[in-house]
Amino acid sequence: MLKHWFHRNQARTDAPDECYRHGNTHLIEVHKLIKTFQSAAGTFTVLKGIDVQVDTAEFVAVIGKSGSGKSTLINMITGIDRPTSGSVLVGDTAVHTLNEEQIAVWRGRNLGVVFQFFQLLPTLTTLENVLLPMYLCHMYPARERRERAMHLLSQVGMSDQAQKLPSALSGGQQQRVAIARALANDPPILVADEPTGNLDSKTADAVFQLFEGLVARGKTILMVTHDQELARRVSRAIIVADGEIVDEVRNNQRYDFPQTPSQQDLTRDGIVPIIANGVMDTSAGTGHMPSVTDSHA
Amino acid sequence: MIHPLWIKIIRDIWGNKTRTLIVVFSIAVGTFAVGMMASSQSVLASNMIDSFMAINPSTARLDIEPFDNDLLQTIERMPEIQAAEGRYRLDVRVQAASGAWRNLQLYAIPDYENITINRVVSESGAWPPPDRALLIERAALGLLGFQEGDTLWIETASGKQRQLPIAGIAHDLHQWPANFGTIAYGYITFNTLEWLGEPRLYNQLYVVAAEQRFDKQHARDISALIRDKRVEKNHLKVFLVNIREPGRHVAYDLVQSMALMLGIIGICSLFLSCFLVINTMSALLTQQVRQIGVMKAMGARQNQLIRAYLSMVLLFSLLALVLSVPTGIFSARIFTEFILNLFNFNLVHFSVPPYAIVIQIGVGLVVPLLAALHPVISGTRITVREAITTQGVNQGQFGSSFLDRLIERVRGLPFLVMLSLRNTFRRKGRLILTLTTLTLGGATFIAVLNVRVSLFQTLDNIMLYWNYDIDVAFDRAYRVERLEQEVLRVPGVVHVESWGSKTAFRIRPDGSENENIAIIAPPANTHLIQPILSEGRWLVPEDDNAIVVNTAFLLEEPDVAVGDDVVLKIEGRETTWRVVGTVTGQLGMMGPFVYMNQHYFARAMQDVGHANYIVIQTERHDAAFQSQVRERLEAHLRSVGLSPRAMNTNAELRLGMEGIFIIFVMVTLVMAFLLALVGGLGLMGLMSLNVMERIREIGVLRAVGASNGSVLQIVMSEGILIGLLSWLMGVMLAFPLGKFMGDAVGIGFLSIPLAFTFTPASALIWLVIVCVLATLASFLPAWHASRITVREVLAYE
Repeated sequence: MLKHWFHRNQARTDAPDECYRHGNTHLIEVHKLIKTFQSAAGTFTVLKGIDVQVDTAEFVAVIGKSGSGKSTLINMITGIDRPTSGSVLVGDTAVHTLNEEQIAVWRGRNLGVVFQFFQLLPTLTTLENVLLPMYLCHMYPARERRERAMHLLSQVGMSDQAQKLPSALSGGQQQRVAIARALANDPPILVADEPTGNLDSKTADAVFQLFEGLVARGKTILMVTHDQELARRVSRAIIVADGEIVDEVRNNQRYDFPQTPSQQDLTRDGIVPIIANGVMDTSAGTGHMPSVTDSHA
Repeated sequence: MIHPLWIKIIRDIWGNKTRTLIVVFSIAVGTFAVGMMASSQSVLASNMIDSFMAINPSTARLDIEPFDNDLLQTIERMPEIQAAEGRYRLDVRVQAASGAWRNLQLYAIPDYENITINRVVSESGAWPPPDRALLIERAALGLLGFQEGDTLWIETASGKQRQLPIAGIAHDLHQWPANFGTIAYGYITFNTLEWLGEPRLYNQLYVVAAEQRFDKQHARDISALIRDKRVEKNHLKVFLVNIREPGRHVAYDLVQSMALMLGIIGICSLFLSCFLVINTMSALLTQQVRQIGVMKAMGARQNQLIRAYLSMVLLFSLLALVLSVPTGIFSARIFTEFILNLFNFNLVHFSVPPYAIVIQIGVGLVVPLLAALHPVISGTRITVREAITTQGVNQGQFGSSFLDRLIERVRGLPFLVMLSLRNTFRRKGRLILTLTTLTLGGATFIAVLNVRVSLFQTLDNIMLYWNYDIDVAFDRAYRVERLEQEVLRVPGVVHVESWGSKTAFRIRPDGSENENIAIIAPPANTHLIQPILSEGRWLVPEDDNAIVVNTAFLLEEPDVAVGDDVVLKIEGRETTWRVVGTVTGQLGMMGPFVYMNQHYFARAMQDVGHANYIVIQTERHDAAFQSQVRERLEAHLRSVGLSPRAMNTNAELRLGMEGIFIIFVMVTLVMAFLLALVGGLGLMGLMSLNVMERIREIGVLRAVGASNGSVLQIVMSEGILIGLLSWLMGVMLAFPLGKFMGDAVGIGFLSIPLAFTFTPASALIWLVIVCVLATLASFLPAWHASRITVREVLAYE
């Protein structure tokens, strides 16, 4: 019954059998993405020709140090920022070709964004915060919106806080509400920039479990994170350094990327998990990077 | 359910009550002023016109040698005349409650129950007045210090003294309000007139034209017809023809000028409140930049956000109108009643015209929306990336412009003051808006103070024109030597001159005549007039038939120029005079004047050695001394059988004129202060915004060791610097603004531009006010800034 009520007004961007409108076969495809910033100090290239593909129901963590370009990469995918060159294809949409107005509409209907600092509107209650995207994007019949919003809040365990203002909630509670808000228009993709960066480990774990539940229900999640523990729990980790993807780990299997000094730094800092004998080594980095071939010797 | 965006807007308004109050109040000030003035102008105009027309005002008044009913009926039968009425005017002296003697004009009216022209109505007490009693015009009660039931002592020009009880109060709209002059008005029967020793005749004729009632030229033609074909044919002299602006009370233009000036200031305050709206909306959107970014990340389009924020402005405007419309109407009622009563009118009907409300609402809704358009559009244009990455120090560019580099070079200031100086110029656009508001407010305030000084200076100059202290008019001519001898006996008198004084008519080349011209014939070498020549020359002792005319004369007789000959009819005798000069400097409302040498005038009037008018200089020139000498003089003249008809001191004349201007200046000062207040609110808004934007910077300052006091000093110094800058600019702007206002006020009130005066005191007063305003406006934001902790800043979003 509820499923009927929550019928979307827009078609989902599910992967068709063969490919999307622009020839992409993955849900998210980024080709040769370059992003350059101009400032008084000169030109600075943040992304140096990145290629990324993400499929439906993947849980992808984007990992890197400050200034590596990971947030910029995410901003390209969400349309928050525009590439200097390259393409960003999300489903049937060439995001890099849209203007601001078109991006806003597309994003509201196809992406859910979760911010590090929650970014709930302070003068709206939790229920109203969750309702807002539906009203902005005219999703769902008006008479269904409130019930849907309550349903989403109950999914994140916040239905009894529906009438509270964000100032009355803890960080963890606010982030849950932010996740519910991100799901308001039932987007296929959720993008989270350091969603647990402002939370304690227990709360972060709870939030992460929410994400895992969403992935299990078919959502695709891209998450920027510094959190080592969480990074190990995703199905895929993309490691970004100096504007390039330097490593990628899928289901605890690393792909063979040449090691750069930056990679070594990342390993030493524990950001990149050490794989030994097919098992992730969670001890502190030793500076030695065993190769996949070693483990199977 | 209501759209969450609208819920957000309403809660944003309610959530920051201080900000809401500031912007609502500033819009309300502007719309209140506009509404109040629009309503007041209309109510004043309609009441003055309706009330004045209700008395059936005369088309013309002729002062004639005493005449009877036969002449009156002859004139009534003229086809050009709809109605005619006669009265007898008797000028007497009355002893006021203070003991001083004042001028009183008594009017004998034949039939109080059937007054058809210039209707006098009963205010209270007896109607008609009993014999040997009088009614006093209500505006004169204050002048005399009496009430209904009191008894007056009066003295006629022939020396007869009588006691007359005040049997009732009358209301005579036709007269210039006694509270602004030196003449009281009373009303008696013809029996009383006879008892006072006067004939049962008329000496004033009032007529109403049958057609073209509001055509001044037609009024002149009718008057000339009456004078030539009826009066003079009966061998009677016409002394004066008085034709006022048809259908308008004599104070109408004055009141409308006043209302117009106040209306202009009202519009200025609305204009200034727009700057406040711009600043406030900029502040709001800056504060909500993250929220705008998040909403856009969720799918909000720019036009949705524009609609939402403009709706907020609309709500501010509606709140302001809820405040300003009823207070505007209420204040308009108080104001109009006050002004009308001041000029001896009643507030007969108070109905605010719909257009005044529509204007107020329209202006109150549209103007703030237009003001907010730019900040809202530019604020919602921000991209999501810009919005969510906005943080940290470096808000506002500094260092790239020429001005910045100039300021950078300033040395020698305390470090914190130098920091404040540079901070002041970081947001130049916002600074310009705030400076504009404060500067305009300050410039208006200073200009109004200077207009006040200029007004009084102009009055001083006008009074200097008449360089005497007391003037005395007699009912008949006396020997000059006797007059002057007796006057010089009075202590305090230092100089006396006998002047000729008559009314005359100019015979134009086409044979027509003008209304009347006042002749003033001082001795050739008098120093008791200090004329301001605009063309030609003043009179010299050798002049015989030379005359000098004033600008009011030239306005009425534009064909006359220096060097021309003009024919004047004086008491029926036509004589030719050569115009040798023109003068300005008198009050325009005193009408056309002609100056000629006294000795030639006396010869022309065949009355050499006699005079009925003297002017006196006293030892001191203050009001109290003039009054004392006048009292002594009056007593002495009576004792020697020289009873004056009228006596005035220069100070009293000036006081009467000052009374009108003081009201205007006070009201204008209040409006100017409101303007200044709007400026102060603007500054408070700017400082709050600056603190909010630099919250991280303040946190950094505190992290490197700045104390509460240092932070307080930095923020308050910035506010005070802005205040001082605005003062500097305001002082410069006050010069042309004050001149403009002075010219407008002078021409509106006095028919001449004011003698513009700029007093340093006005600038200093504003300096003190702006320093206080700036201190108060920046204190609260500075206090908040000084309470910010580093921890709060680092957690700030």
